[in-house]
Amino acid sequence: MSGGGPPWSWNLFTDLRFMWQYEFMRNAFEAGTMIALVAGIVGYFVVLRRASFASHALGHTGFSGAAAAVLIGVEPVYGLLVFTMATAGGMALLGNRASNRDVEIGTVLAFALGLGLLFLSLYQGYATEAYSILFGEVLGISTAGVDFTFWTGLVVLAIVALIYRPLLFSSLDEDVAEAKGMPMLVLNLAFLLLLAVTISIAVQIIGVLLIFALMVTPAAIAVRLTRRAATAVIVAILVAMTAVWAGLFIGFYEPYPVSFFIVGIVFVEYVCIRGMGVMRETAYLQAVDATEDEGVRALRNASLTAAVAQALFVVGALFLTESLLAHPDAAWSPSGLYGHAPVAIAFLVPAAVVGAASFLLYFAGFRKMATSSRDFTSPAFLTLVGILGITMTTGGLGLFLGGEALTATAYPLAPVAILFGVPLLLLGILLSVIGLFGQAVGNWRVGERYEENSLRTAAILTCLPLVGFVVAYLGYRRALARGAPSTVLPAPA
Amino acid sequence: MAANSVEPLIGHPPVVPTSRSGPPAILADHLEVRYRNKVVWKNASFDVRPGEFVAVIGPNGAGKTTLFRMLLGLHWPSSGVLRVLGAAPRRGNPRIGYVPQRHTIDRETHLECDKLVRLAYPGTRWGPGGRFRPTQWGPRFDLRGEAAAAEKALEDVGASELAPKSLGTLSGGELQRVFLAEALVGDPDMLLLDEPLSNLDIRRSRELVEVIHRLVQSRGVTTLLVAHDINPMIKCLDKVIYIANGKVATGRPSDVLTSESLTALYGVPVEVLRDSRDNIVIVGGEDERGEEGA
Repeated sequence: MSGGGPPWSWNLFTDLRFMWQYEFMRNAFEAGTMIALVAGIVGYFVVLRRASFASHALGHTGFSGAAAAVLIGVEPVYGLLVFTMATAGGMALLGNRASNRDVEIGTVLAFALGLGLLFLSLYQGYATEAYSILFGEVLGISTAGVDFTFWTGLVVLAIVALIYRPLLFSSLDEDVAEAKGMPMLVLNLAFLLLLAVTISIAVQIIGVLLIFALMVTPAAIAVRLTRRAATAVIVAILVAMTAVWAGLFIGFYEPYPVSFFIVGIVFVEYVCIRGMGVMRETAYLQAVDATEDEGVRALRNASLTAAVAQALFVVGALFLTESLLAHPDAAWSPSGLYGHAPVAIAFLVPAAVVGAASFLLYFAGFRKMATSSRDFTSPAFLTLVGILGITMTTGGLGLFLGGEALTATAYPLAPVAILFGVPLLLLGILLSVIGLFGQAVGNWRVGERYEENSLRTAAILTCLPLVGFVVAYLGYRRALARGAPSTVLPAPA
Repeated sequence: MAANSVEPLIGHPPVVPTSRSGPPAILADHLEVRYRNKVVWKNASFDVRPGEFVAVIGPNGAGKTTLFRMLLGLHWPSSGVLRVLGAAPRRGNPRIGYVPQRHTIDRETHLECDKLVRLAYPGTRWGPGGRFRPTQWGPRFDLRGEAAAAEKALEDVGASELAPKSLGTLSGGELQRVFLAEALVGDPDMLLLDEPLSNLDIRRSRELVEVIHRLVQSRGVTTLLVAHDINPMIKCLDKVIYIANGKVATGRPSDVLTSESLTALYGVPVEVLRDSRDNIVIVGGEDERGEEGA
């Protein structure tokens, strides 16, 4: 939707007010908000009941429904509702665990897609209709469509409120719920019908092929962040909501489809959450066959590398300041900065690379120390967070500077680059500081273990990086020379 | 079939009268049960006194789970009489706590243990949870009764520290204790535990049996436990129900689990072997008559 109005500004509220002047944008935001709310809640149960494949299949049968509706000339959403609800009813009648029968569902799914293809080929306006059903067309929602979405969503929310408790219980412990006399068929049918309705309205914005991103992924992210059911539901709603809002926001300025931005945001969030989980597991793995000597040696190399990185960083920062002083008018314009600080960048980029390497070495060192004491697992984890931070800082800086430079040529990608670059940069700096903190804690603990005062000092001085790391290097040398630790800690459990 | 020689065993009253009085918690009289139109077992007569700890053992598919499903009112006997806690079995009896064999919880279940136990209290309520209670400031959303009940149940099975943990991170033994708390939360008079010891090693099995035995003694709750292996619990049992080959034998473990009585029951040679630590192995008597899922 690029062009046409005032360009993107830093003031997001002005931007929103501007885009809400258009009816289609208002409709899209209203429908999208309701759909994100409903999809977040129902999605939690999809994840809990392992029904993600069933939700995918319902979307596909919905495709043939929508195509049939287009063929006979009614709104696609009614065809979607009829077909998905009929399929949901069939699944529920087949049995409690029908939603897990991959082969049956897959067979029906393929047939439904084929049927949809047939209906569309019978209809003349083939391509655009198919495209909007498969991938969603949120900017095409009519005011009547918004009303329909709103009321349908409200009904879904009311029913969820009514069956929340028994549905949650039967999702967790089906046999006990059955023995307690809960109507399993009714609950299962109710859940699948809710899923069918939610999918039918969600298809309007995300399409049948991308339905996973709103129905399943937000809840999958949520359950990894919290162990509480109610909190998980709220987090799932928030994830879906931010994705829809940010997607619409970006889509307004970019010529690319909104569905892509929604799916992309959800994907990045998911990867970050899973990555954090993997990092945590890596840091807490105990079985590293290494001696303490090896750990201290790795830490010594790490602090030397860190000192080099800090030196490069300081020089780079000096050059940057100098270039800004020479061109005072460029001080507050990043695009000006981009033109005037190539030397600084030539120092800062290697600083980031060597810094990342030092974080890696620190991580390896703490992991090796963790073989003999659990005290070093948390410094290892924090250092890993720091590595992520440095990567994000570099990426964010690149996007920001690159985006600002491109703004001059009014290239449409620039606002996105800045929009993603700034949060990435800020979060990256925060995580890097956390990583440094982890190194300080780790250094302190090594110092305690070897009763090495220069290491304890270094831990404190890590706040003054360059000096701190030089002292740390000297401290590790002495710790290595000393050999055995002063106190033997109990072996990890 | 040596039907005659079996008579003394079937419908045998408890050999040593226990101190437990009152009507039997479970009474079965010439019970016959079919599963998909095949007789699983028949002519079973036995009773279980209130507060007894009973093991239900037998080979796979002998009809142990079917017995539980009948007690829960989910499966009907094809003939004979079955009474549970003084009444005909009915579905949704709040006086029975049940731990099924099959669970949907796995490593990907990210939910607090506490929540599962709370949901089971009483497990039949609709709505979003909690209930509105009138206070002087008007109706207030209250979850305290539920929270207290869950806390008590977890404490009774020695799993208080598991409450905030995620179900997906628990070990097999910890998970079984949480299930036990889930079954206990409504203060039932009877516990039906289906294979709680499968997938546990010997040490964990003995620990769990100890927890269950403590519950039986402190709460006086009648407990039936299905198991493959009777050895972890043999010292604390009041009674054993042995189901195999379409027949059901009941009595004290020392009376039922002997070569003579089992051989007499099945009409084929069955040997009960004991090692130096009184562990029991039953050899023979498990022919092909079992059916999966029964």
